[in-house]
Amino acid sequence: MLKSGSPLQVMSHAVVGFPSLEENLRAIDGLVEAGVRMIELQVPFSDPVADGPTLVNACYQALQQGGSVAATLALARQVSTRHPQVTFILMSYLNPLYRYGLEQCFRDAAEAGIRGLIIPDWPVEEVEPMLPLLDELDLSPILMVTPNTSTDRLPRICRASRKMVYVVARMGVTGSATKWDQEFIDYIDRIRSHTKLPLAVGFGIRHAEDLKSLKDKVEVAAVCSRYIEWQDQEGSDAAAANMATLIKDSGLPRLGDS
Amino acid sequence: MIRSQNGMFGEFGGRFVPEILLPALLELEEMFGRLREDADFWQEYVELTQQFSGRPTPLTPCHRLSEHLGGASIWLKREDLNHSGAHKVNNVLGQGLLVKRLGKKRVIAETGAGQHGLATAIMAARLGLDATIYMGADDIERQYSNVFWMRQLGATVVPVTTGARTLKEAMDEALRDWAASCETTHYVLGTACGPAPFPELVTYFQSVIGIELKDQIQTAIGRMPDAITACVGGGSNAMGVFTPFLEQSEVKLIGVEAGGRSRDDGDHSIRLQPDTAETGIAQGFKTLFLQNQDGQLGHTHSIAAGLDYVGVSPIIAHLHQSGRLTADSASDEQVLDAFKLLMQYEGIIPALESSHALAGGFKAAAEMSADQHLVINLSGRGDKDIFNVARAFPQPEWTAFLQREIDRQNNEPADQSSIAAAEEARHA
Repeated sequence: MLKSGSPLQVMSHAVVGFPSLEENLRAIDGLVEAGVRMIELQVPFSDPVADGPTLVNACYQALQQGGSVAATLALARQVSTRHPQVTFILMSYLNPLYRYGLEQCFRDAAEAGIRGLIIPDWPVEEVEPMLPLLDELDLSPILMVTPNTSTDRLPRICRASRKMVYVVARMGVTGSATKWDQEFIDYIDRIRSHTKLPLAVGFGIRHAEDLKSLKDKVEVAAVCSRYIEWQDQEGSDAAAANMATLIKDSGLPRLGDS
Repeated sequence: MIRSQNGMFGEFGGRFVPEILLPALLELEEMFGRLREDADFWQEYVELTQQFSGRPTPLTPCHRLSEHLGGASIWLKREDLNHSGAHKVNNVLGQGLLVKRLGKKRVIAETGAGQHGLATAIMAARLGLDATIYMGADDIERQYSNVFWMRQLGATVVPVTTGARTLKEAMDEALRDWAASCETTHYVLGTACGPAPFPELVTYFQSVIGIELKDQIQTAIGRMPDAITACVGGGSNAMGVFTPFLEQSEVKLIGVEAGGRSRDDGDHSIRLQPDTAETGIAQGFKTLFLQNQDGQLGHTHSIAAGLDYVGVSPIIAHLHQSGRLTADSASDEQVLDAFKLLMQYEGIIPALESSHALAGGFKAAAEMSADQHLVINLSGRGDKDIFNVARAFPQPEWTAFLQREIDRQNNEPADQSSIAAAEEARHA
């Protein structure tokens, strides 16, 4: 994964089973072609409480299409072999992984080529006891920091995170706009004072203007709900083309295959 | 009294929430931890329930019914006589006192049957707070009269149209609202579920039911009852009546779940019996959830919207696992029979939720001896169920009346426009 201070790059998303398991593969090829080098593979869940309507609906459809933990691991195996230059991250709510068996799930995920974990309802207190196993597997928990995270909790979350910290840009759920003002810059500075890890910002990154605002401030920008909206409204091929345009319009460096 | 260990009850409970909700939960936990050590706070709460909700609620002996069933003497703890018609108001009034101390101006709530939403709308009106109530679109159809009153009381009722459109989805949506609004908004969780400290906090307020009952039954029969039954959806009325009796092992505690139409997946809401729910982590806590092999939460059914829930209080899950609580269930059909029996023999119209406790209680009482005593927690009254009950026991003249009422509303354009204006004002 990337280093602190690297130029901004886009992280995007797949909801496994949305719009179908077959199309996931083509959609991911498209994202890679568009220059995306970090992709979250989301296990669909019946009760995604941190997500807004776009991802809630995508989860609902994905479950009808056979999305599951097993399907996610199978997809990870395929795409990590096809695209060794891309970092694939498992995104899931806790229960599907818990039912699978957490330890087994982490072992299988690492074996399938997954490099990181984003689990919104897995608090740091529960992550800490798993760190030895995760470190052994080189599977990085990417924990979330939010604008209201207290000063005494922030260093603890940063210490348990590996490879990067996920910065939730604003209060609320995924899928609507965020303001990148002085308050946001102060927030980023506050997190930087506790960690040398690269920062990934998510929640509300929708336009080239958003990416331009984040350039030189953080290392990763998650364009997830917006991409799923494109997939839903225009199909996966157009969504990939839109992503390529977004990256170009934002003036982000074209990432090579190395 | 119930005390968690860091939010856990045995292996259940905890606080598995997105990071964004933690500060609000920790603030609430800190305040609750302080207030429950304060006898004056409990006194303030009890006085409020007396002044506003008619507490203490009576303990009613059921002479005719007991004789008819031919077993134990049956008593009813009359939570149906609360203001708003159910035990839900106890917890809401208690949380109202917390909201005042937190200095927040807006409350949100999830609701199934609408009783908790109604109680929250009442509390918000009394305290001058904004209220938004999340309710599954299907539950709105089943309990429209409660929706009508919530809106009249000034609350915004948001229909939730995702998934199965019942209580589970309403709770998801309330959590999403709270993720954006927790700095100014209090989430009035309606049952003894959700992330810590809610299971403990809701149980604390609802335990006023069992505390009163203990005194009342002692006065009435000079000893503790032999058994108590309560219906179990999320588990708040059951925890309320059971909690003060947990140490009295001679009192059998029976929780009655919704058996629905059948034991097939999606046809019932039974979580405590074998081959039903499995341990899971969702909606902020660990408990027994109806779910599939992949950890996706399942669908539920009950004739009573208030019991139609996929999980159960972590405290109930723990008490059941440790053997202190006996689990039973009642089918939709048994529930309607019990409903009818209580009306005919005692002149009381129970809620369909509470009729599960009646069905379980009647069954248990029939197997007990005449010198034994069984208390049924009658958690709510049945007025709200008039449409569902009318469908179960059809009366042609009722249907004809509804038709005439529709005709009347259609033929009174002035009324219609004033209703439309009111709707518009509400959305403005």
